[in-house]
Amino acid sequence: MPSVKGKGMESKNSADLTLEEISKKLEAGNGKQYYRSLDEVAGTPEFRKFLEDEFPNRSTLLSMDRRQFLKVMGASLALAGLSGCRFLPQEKIVPYVKAPEDIIPGKSLRYATAMVRRGEALGLVVESKMGRPTKIEGNDLHPASLGSTDVFAQAELLTLYDPDRGRNVLNEGQIATYDEFLKAAREALAAAKSPRIVTDRVASPTLRNQLQALVKAHPGAEWIEWEPFNDDSALEGSVLAFGSPYETVYDLSQAEAIVSLDCSLFDEGPWSVRMARDFASGRKIEGSEAKMNRLYVFESGVTTAGLSADHRFTVKSSEVVDIARQLVMALSDLEADGPFDAATIREIAADLIARNGKAVVVAGAHQPAELHAIACHINHAIGAIGRAVQYRPTDRKPLRTGATKLAAELAGGRVDWMLTISANPLSTLPQADGLKEAYKKVPFTAVAALYEDETAAESKWYVPLAHFLEAWSDAEARDGTASIIQPLILPLHNAVPVHELVASISGKPQPAYDIVKGFWVAKGAGEKWEKALHDGVISPAKPTEAPKPVGGIGPAGSAAFGFEVNLRPDPTIDDGRYANNGWLQELPKPITTVTWDNTVQMSLNTAQRLGVKNEDVVEVTVGQSRVEGPVWIVPGHADDSVTLHAGYGRTKCGRVGEGVGFNVYPLMAGGAIAEGSVKKLGKAHPIAAAQTHHSMEGRDIVRVGSIEEYKHNPSLEPHDAHHAKKGLTLYNDEQFKNDSQQWGMSIDLNACIGCNACTIACQAENNIPVVGKDQVRNGREMHWIRIDHYFSVKNGRFEHVVQPVACQHCEDAPCEPVCPVAATVHSHEGLNQMVYNRCVGTRYCSNNCPYKVRRFNFLNYQYNQKNFDKKDDIPLLKLLNNPDVTVRSRGVMEKCTYCVQRINEARIEAKKQLRKVKDGEIVTACQQACPTQAIVFGDVSDPNSRVSKARAEERSYKLLEVLNTKPRTSYSAKLRNPNPRIKA
Amino acid sequence: MAQLFKPVTNTIARASLVAAAAVPFLAIFTGSAISRSSYNTKAGVSLEQPVPFSHQHHVQELGIDCRFCHTSVEKSATAGIPSTDTCMMCHSQIWTDSPLLEPVRTSFATGRQIQWATGGEPGWNKVAKVPEFVFFNHSIHVNRGISCNECHGAIQKMHLTNKGKAFFMKWCLDCHRNPENVLYVDQANPQLDSKQQVFNLYRKFQAGAKLSPREQALANGLSYTPTAEEKAHAQEMIKKFNIKKATLEDCSICHR
Repeated sequence: MPSVKGKGMESKNSADLTLEEISKKLEAGNGKQYYRSLDEVAGTPEFRKFLEDEFPNRSTLLSMDRRQFLKVMGASLALAGLSGCRFLPQEKIVPYVKAPEDIIPGKSLRYATAMVRRGEALGLVVESKMGRPTKIEGNDLHPASLGSTDVFAQAELLTLYDPDRGRNVLNEGQIATYDEFLKAAREALAAAKSPRIVTDRVASPTLRNQLQALVKAHPGAEWIEWEPFNDDSALEGSVLAFGSPYETVYDLSQAEAIVSLDCSLFDEGPWSVRMARDFASGRKIEGSEAKMNRLYVFESGVTTAGLSADHRFTVKSSEVVDIARQLVMALSDLEADGPFDAATIREIAADLIARNGKAVVVAGAHQPAELHAIACHINHAIGAIGRAVQYRPTDRKPLRTGATKLAAELAGGRVDWMLTISANPLSTLPQADGLKEAYKKVPFTAVAALYEDETAAESKWYVPLAHFLEAWSDAEARDGTASIIQPLILPLHNAVPVHELVASISGKPQPAYDIVKGFWVAKGAGEKWEKALHDGVISPAKPTEAPKPVGGIGPAGSAAFGFEVNLRPDPTIDDGRYANNGWLQELPKPITTVTWDNTVQMSLNTAQRLGVKNEDVVEVTVGQSRVEGPVWIVPGHADDSVTLHAGYGRTKCGRVGEGVGFNVYPLMAGGAIAEGSVKKLGKAHPIAAAQTHHSMEGRDIVRVGSIEEYKHNPSLEPHDAHHAKKGLTLYNDEQFKNDSQQWGMSIDLNACIGCNACTIACQAENNIPVVGKDQVRNGREMHWIRIDHYFSVKNGRFEHVVQPVACQHCEDAPCEPVCPVAATVHSHEGLNQMVYNRCVGTRYCSNNCPYKVRRFNFLNYQYNQKNFDKKDDIPLLKLLNNPDVTVRSRGVMEKCTYCVQRINEARIEAKKQLRKVKDGEIVTACQQACPTQAIVFGDVSDPNSRVSKARAEERSYKLLEVLNTKPRTSYSAKLRNPNPRIKA
Repeated sequence: MAQLFKPVTNTIARASLVAAAAVPFLAIFTGSAISRSSYNTKAGVSLEQPVPFSHQHHVQELGIDCRFCHTSVEKSATAGIPSTDTCMMCHSQIWTDSPLLEPVRTSFATGRQIQWATGGEPGWNKVAKVPEFVFFNHSIHVNRGISCNECHGAIQKMHLTNKGKAFFMKWCLDCHRNPENVLYVDQANPQLDSKQQVFNLYRKFQAGAKLSPREQALANGLSYTPTAEEKAHAQEMIKKFNIKKATLEDCSICHR
């Protein structure tokens, strides 16, 4: 962005502000104020320009010469005049030859299935429209899901239809046949002395069985599982604490006090969906009796857990082990000296003890085994085991051991046959770069994966693997619940199901269905097969005995790092497996709201010390490895610490993900928390963040208060709040005075953790396109529901809050009277309707919307992934669309419709049965996905509906009520439950 | 030097003035006439199909129920198009060597979708199409007793299927604003519920039963203006079905 010097405006660059200055600026304002970014606090000229200028990057328009201008204008006029006049092409109807029994054309079918991420299952229910999966939702009966999903589950749909997925078996880059591959693989295997099979962490009991048999049949063979972000530490920690490995399964609904030791509670694999639900269930406020659980979080970077915390303590990740030791000391009434304030630690310990077993300590997956062992000891001491945490015996081995051995064997040339399934070792193994040459010398190498990845590029063979919606399989969740993965569609390309691949290599080719069913029939589950397919669960979790700790905790280890470098999986593209998923790339990351990039996150103080500001490129060094990436300042990050998200910088994954961001895996050899350094380079890298877009200019928008404040002032309304004059309106309110059902929504900010699941569920349901990084930089992202992120400074500490904002469906909607063509009008059921076919694209409505929730199709975004100026339709992406929602094209305004297609479907079904729509019958896409059940939708004219009850709560308020827009969406204020004995 | 402008020039000039005034109106008039003509709307224009299927024969002469082929018409938004299987239920027994049915037999034998004898393109030409931003639901209309002929014209008389009505938005709104004009109970068979009445109408056509003036109009695909008594009766139905007239006019009822 070009820099413009503000005249007569006292403003500084955000990076030049100190914490004191920020506090002073904040205190000068009246009451509690929330800011969206540091630039906003500083009032930088760039920020003002962005706010005030409709086209912040318009240099291209001004630099246009006269001829160019006339050409563009001429073309625009011609298009504007003629685009409406054409004869429609003759359409064809292609009927079935033999109509399938279950399909009623126009009605969807739902199938229970499951997806696997990082070796754990998440139960799903997938909607199929005329044989085409169009929407992924959670499975109520699955313990990890309980009906909700995370962002990854929603986005798997785009992965299924991704045009860049592998389509053919390749031999040295040339198209070959699957039979040729099998012949070559089997011949080479027969001759091989030390064959290796490398997979990701396998969640399928059937596949584990198959692979074990394959390895057994070939002496010298080994099967190695590898995940760059794994739970090795938890396994090793349980060995240290209990003497044998245990799986850690949390049930936060049983915990009144939770201490997170650097754990990103709501972003640690599929079980986090359940953890979010349990956490929120302990925070439901009913009436004035406010009973809430309490979350203490120790962390370096800011995570979704940190912003939900009642006490968020900013510490270095490398200090956390010692802080845990302090907690142990405090629990045993000993001197609790250490890096953290002993008095606070003592209060936390007292709180944990006072809960009588209803408390738990949770350790982060990236922390060392030592911390997990300490957490086991503490959980035993406070009586949490068997309540809020279960330790489930397992025979899994830490993945790191096998991976290190494999790397050594590869480097030593001791591997002569290697098959990689769904793992990407040449990209994610520690020191993977050095292995490339050695890998190429292996006589037989093959990769079976969804995409032709970095490892496939160096392999002799590549086999496209079937997506989980294309092939039969099974999978276990963290608590041991097993599900059958049911396919919804035949493989779109020449993809092979993983079970068939392994069976064929073993010399016993069989269809995947027979293999999976055979496995469960052998286990005696044959009789309940049909029910298992229907429910999505074939064998439920078994209760386990609580293990007893053996020995004590180890001696104090090394001190905290002087400057630490933290590596974490990316919150939206995980370890890189979703790098080619445009939905996830464009999903604003929680807290930073950065899209299409990973960044070097650091605190304000660290940035000032390094003399860098946002978008400056720095070099991060750990040991001998260094990477370069752009800086992003995160208020509340620990000082002398940086956080980097992995998964970016892919060189081979498809047209969306290649060349986006920077690769941090070279730093992985030093571990997830390592001592390192950061150096300023004289470069900058533009970042597309949604952060400073859609600003609401510091008005009273999010209401937050402590439980104490809530007891005195249940509405939590600021004392100086302005009120609209009652009854003063220019609008005709008569239209709501009819006996139709009146739709409304309520969002509980107390439950919202800012996980973004709603945003992407809405994207999947409503055919919302991806616009790309450049368009996001222009503020043109299309998400109908966005998560606003605000922070405030209180006693030198940053406090974070989030708020989902979609169209508020105002009864007196300011967008409606300004539309010259009546393309946005109100329905008698209270919906603010958007009529695409009327819209001529004046954008007056968006201009007049105080909530900035309207989205405009500046270009042909649909069916497109990158080049929007060209109309390069990708036919495969048309399969992705929900047929019940119009696909919008260029020049059309759009926004949240309250999922009107779902309302209409429910209304029509109810009308056919001569009744009203029942409460809970309509579930909007965002509501369905929400892991914490923060969103309620229903009839606000029925006083007994759930939404009416939520709106009747005292902490319920409307956004910008002073404008008298009468929104149909209401919010319930966020409460914090700080420990009154801790002086923050 | 000869006269530059001859006397006839005056006439041309006057005519030009008139034309200048008239041409824009004529252009607009012609444009709108074309857009309303069946050249654009395709109303009443029979399309070529892979098999020259006759509704007249199957519905009027043989008395086959609509739902035999359009299976989902009372359950779902779309009426459904019969599969090859459905055709072959009868045509494996009758007209088994008709050359017109060759595409059906080929489809059944090969398992491939029905194809044009020439060109090899699959599928039927779509006759009744609403734009993609319009979401019409067959089931709710059928459940309210709205006759198929109300929108599809005199379908039971069509030898080759054509679009019975022009499908203008105003035409949709005519009923959505005044549902009392189309809601009715067949007084000869008051025991039938609204849905049954829709399909029973074709049995009446076939049997040559005595038709009410409204049914007469439906049989011929004509519009009908109900009497005051019929309207009053329809008002009762509006109450019974709890039809909210204002809501019916909301944009999001059809556009979403």
